[in-house]
Amino acid sequence: KAVVSTQSTGGLRCDGRRPQEMRKLKCELGVSEGADGSAIVEQGYTKVLVSVFGPHECANRTARNHERAIISCSYNFASFGAAVRKKKMTADKKTTEVGVMIQNTFEAAVMLEKFPKSQIDIYVQVLQGDGGERCVAINATTLALINAGIPLKDYVCACAATVFQDSVLLDINNLEESYRGPLFMLAVMPQTESIVQLQLDHRLHNDHLDKVVRETIQGERERESVCVCNLCV
Amino acid sequence: MATRLSINEIRYIIDGVEQDFRTDGRAAEDYRHVELESRVLPNTNGSARCKLGKTEVLVGIKAEVVDVDVHAPHIGKLVITADCSAVASPKFVGKGSEALENDLTNILSFIYHSTETLPLKELCILPGKSCWQLNVDVLFVQCGGNLFDVASIALKAALHNTTLPKVRVSGEGIEMEMEVADDPYHVWKLDVSNWPICITLYQIGCSFAVDPSEEEVACSEGYVHVGVLPSGDVSSMEKSGAGNIDPTVLLEMVEVGVRVGEDIHNQLDKQLEAEKSLAKL
Repeated sequence: KAVVSTQSTGGLRCDGRRPQEMRKLKCELGVSEGADGSAIVEQGYTKVLVSVFGPHECANRTARNHERAIISCSYNFASFGAAVRKKKMTADKKTTEVGVMIQNTFEAAVMLEKFPKSQIDIYVQVLQGDGGERCVAINATTLALINAGIPLKDYVCACAATVFQDSVLLDINNLEESYRGPLFMLAVMPQTESIVQLQLDHRLHNDHLDKVVRETIQGERERESVCVCNLCV
Repeated sequence: MATRLSINEIRYIIDGVEQDFRTDGRAAEDYRHVELESRVLPNTNGSARCKLGKTEVLVGIKAEVVDVDVHAPHIGKLVITADCSAVASPKFVGKGSEALENDLTNILSFIYHSTETLPLKELCILPGKSCWQLNVDVLFVQCGGNLFDVASIALKAALHNTTLPKVRVSGEGIEMEMEVADDPYHVWKLDVSNWPICITLYQIGCSFAVDPSEEEVACSEGYVHVGVLPSGDVSSMEKSGAGNIDPTVLLEMVEVGVRVGEDIHNQLDKQLEAEKSLAKL
């Protein structure tokens, strides 16, 4: 099996980062004039645009909830986003699954009780994918919801990690993802340190689990402080 | 996106266009401020982002080596796909955008399918066997009217900075082999000096205008797409939308379309050249 060596001499990763170093983060709010809230987040080369519409009246009267708002989420990956071009598929299983994942994440974070019988739409468009698209999507959604003025219980920060040769690598890029090591995605609300979403692909040894969770949360706290600084600007 | 206007507002807008003084102060032939950014997507061979008014479009071009078309064995292929992202409007979720996407794809493909204007011969690698296929993906991130023009401007800019790897052809006859260069700096660029752009003219009242705002589109009946080459020639034309257009008005529309098109080509070429001097590639 061809394993890409992600660590050259000096303990650096293939893009020159240290194991716990995150990629360069760039965020911009209010990019889409038509939407109630929007944000573009770039982590390294991964770029995701999220638009939020709402709260507004439920499009589907049977789906509306009398006590809280419902969230509808749609996740799309642009055809030119990946290294190999993907033809657009409307009901791709994987994209639907990510959409549902983001919806569940924010049902825990948004104060839905404040808007009974309404609907909040979250639309995610991945413009460029270089690893960790789901995480960038969650980060961008948090910012878009803030831009829309929708009350949140806390920020939701997400980060992807893997374990390579006993050390935890945070904020992995596409090359590191394709290495087929354990792919650990964690979304937390940093103030309370409560985990909102957790996904693990492939195998991860039990001994490493605690370390991975702790270091990922640490990375997300850094991410949260960067986001807050950005919002103040 | 459906704008509701009162009868008086509609009258006001139509009168404005007919008197060559629109609501925002522009003349019928004036375009709004165009914002253009090149090479925004590193994953692609060429890309551009264009923003005009409330419309924003991202064009990404990816090239791949494919088998030639049996009916056209000496030219390459250009496949244009339009995609309206859900981030632009809740109406575009799932299948909601299909009708608009088909419309956009068809019109853009139509404007760009003329083999005389496009240097598709350059894209042929092994005549009769392999050629480059340029997959052009047009992603609408915001839809605020005048979608075709913005897409075509972004398309031209994206094609201008598209780099294709050099291919080394060796052997003769049936044993011809090709080797695509791995070196990211061993590339060549297409000649886009003869690519058309689309100018859409909307009939509003008894007169017509280019680059309408959403409110003006709501007052219009029928529109004409004119594909204009840098030389001032018309490469293609199509009338869309519901509404009748008077033949004399149509001729005027085409004249204006050509004038505006040439102007845009000049300005675009100047900016693209200036940009080329900044970058090394």
